[in-house]
Amino acid sequence: MRRMPFDWRGLVPILGVLALWQVLGPERSPFLPRPTEWWTGALSIIRKDDLAGAFLASLETIVSAMIFATLAGTAGGLLIGGSALARRMLTPSLEFIRAIPAAAMVPIGVLLFGYDGRMKTAIVVIGIVWPILLNVSAAVARIHPVLMDVAASLRMTRVARVVKILLPSIVPAILLGVRVALPLAVVITLVVEMLTSISGLGGLMIGAQRDYKAGQVFALLVMVGAIGLGLNLLLAWLEAHLMRYRTAPGQIHIAAGDAMTGGLLEADTE
Amino acid sequence: MPPSTGAAVPAREWLRHHAPGLLTAAGLIGVWETAVRLSSVRLDSLPPPSGIVLAGIEAVRSGQMADDLTHTLTATLAGWAAASIAGIAAGILLIQFEGLRRFSQAAIELLRPLPPVAFVPVAVLAFGFSFATEFSVMLLPCLWPVLINTIGGLGQTPARLLEVARCCRFSRWRTLKKLTLPHAFPTILVGLRLSLSMALVLAVVTEMIGNPQGMGYALIREQQALRSDTMFAYLFVIGLTGVALNAALRQAARWLAPGWRHVL
Repeated sequence: MRRMPFDWRGLVPILGVLALWQVLGPERSPFLPRPTEWWTGALSIIRKDDLAGAFLASLETIVSAMIFATLAGTAGGLLIGGSALARRMLTPSLEFIRAIPAAAMVPIGVLLFGYDGRMKTAIVVIGIVWPILLNVSAAVARIHPVLMDVAASLRMTRVARVVKILLPSIVPAILLGVRVALPLAVVITLVVEMLTSISGLGGLMIGAQRDYKAGQVFALLVMVGAIGLGLNLLLAWLEAHLMRYRTAPGQIHIAAGDAMTGGLLEADTE
Repeated sequence: MPPSTGAAVPAREWLRHHAPGLLTAAGLIGVWETAVRLSSVRLDSLPPPSGIVLAGIEAVRSGQMADDLTHTLTATLAGWAAASIAGIAAGILLIQFEGLRRFSQAAIELLRPLPPVAFVPVAVLAFGFSFATEFSVMLLPCLWPVLINTIGGLGQTPARLLEVARCCRFSRWRTLKKLTLPHAFPTILVGLRLSLSMALVLAVVTEMIGNPQGMGYALIREQQALRSDTMFAYLFVIGLTGVALNAALRQAARWLAPGWRHVL
């Protein structure tokens, strides 16, 4: 299922459905518009100049939230994972917060922070920081004590310890967390935008739906999907490059499907 | 480790292990309560924990909470069950028939990263503000984890087991029933669990944006009424529901497949 060359024949079902839709679909349907109407929908959004701004607004939220969440999650994970006491003290509270669906926190965020761009980023960060934090804290806790003894007997400096032992141990965990957090970031950004009609692709989608501009809704669905796919590919590429040193022969590389299950499983069994 | 994950742990042992965590949680709640009570500014948006509990009790007593919870649970379980059955069936078909896999793999990889919420406006267009909207939004996103894990689990059967099956002249169906499916069970179960929590999240989100019913809509309703205490109560109940669903599924799996108890 994975790590195979891309096979174009696999696109046949999608193309088939789209073709059937185009041929059999009713003309100017307000509910299920034909693919050609998606195209006119896309053109009308582009012509109104809304698209670039909305796209950038969404992307900016996603990217800045990812950066904040990665920094905060890594720092928090190091703190919690570094001390057994801190871990035991904070785990139940953190697990409870993590159990609340991030998207359900959006109304709370709206109430607490009001309607603006910073609120948007803050809510997304609160929603996505957990997988990174929990993964990093688990990885720090799992660093083998022998490694620390080795560092001590080699008289490694503090910097050398961080670079040679700590970072290699936690980078895969950070990546795993980021991999789980990224799709979440896209989802929560869209939810916030849809709920508050703040600028962004989610806001455009809900606006188009309210006006029954079905073609535009479907066009936006395709665009949002393209963003999801693009971010996914980017992450896979990044992971392949950063983790090269881990994929020695005989070792199993964490692939896309596993990363998702792995991350959540790990968090679940903590 | 919580008691649900391992073998039976004596209650006292469990309490001692979790004492620091429980005390910290209690302390945080205490700090929250006093901070809100002592604050000179009246914070309407941040209620004290005691207020949240009272509002929660009130919502339970009026029956509103039960109505909302029933709706959300029904939607969650319906969407999850449909997606799970479809996912396992499709996974088995894709593993059994190489050609089918070749002609659908790219489509799956293209559709899988689609953000689930993006379907909400589309579903509202097609089905209006209805249960059908909620159900249809859940289907695809909840299908993926089950499908991927079914394929992964079935594909990982050790070659030696398959050789045994060949020696015993098992039919394809019999090999599947006796060897590969039982072997894949824990992996599939992980998919089912991921998909169940996904279903709950999507039910809540769809209720927030699309179908004005259930727990998700309750959050919005209370937010717009500026009853933040009731809103927090609903939020916590949603979190508890997720934990309870996950625990129930684990328990059910342990009960259904006693042979896999050591990994579940």
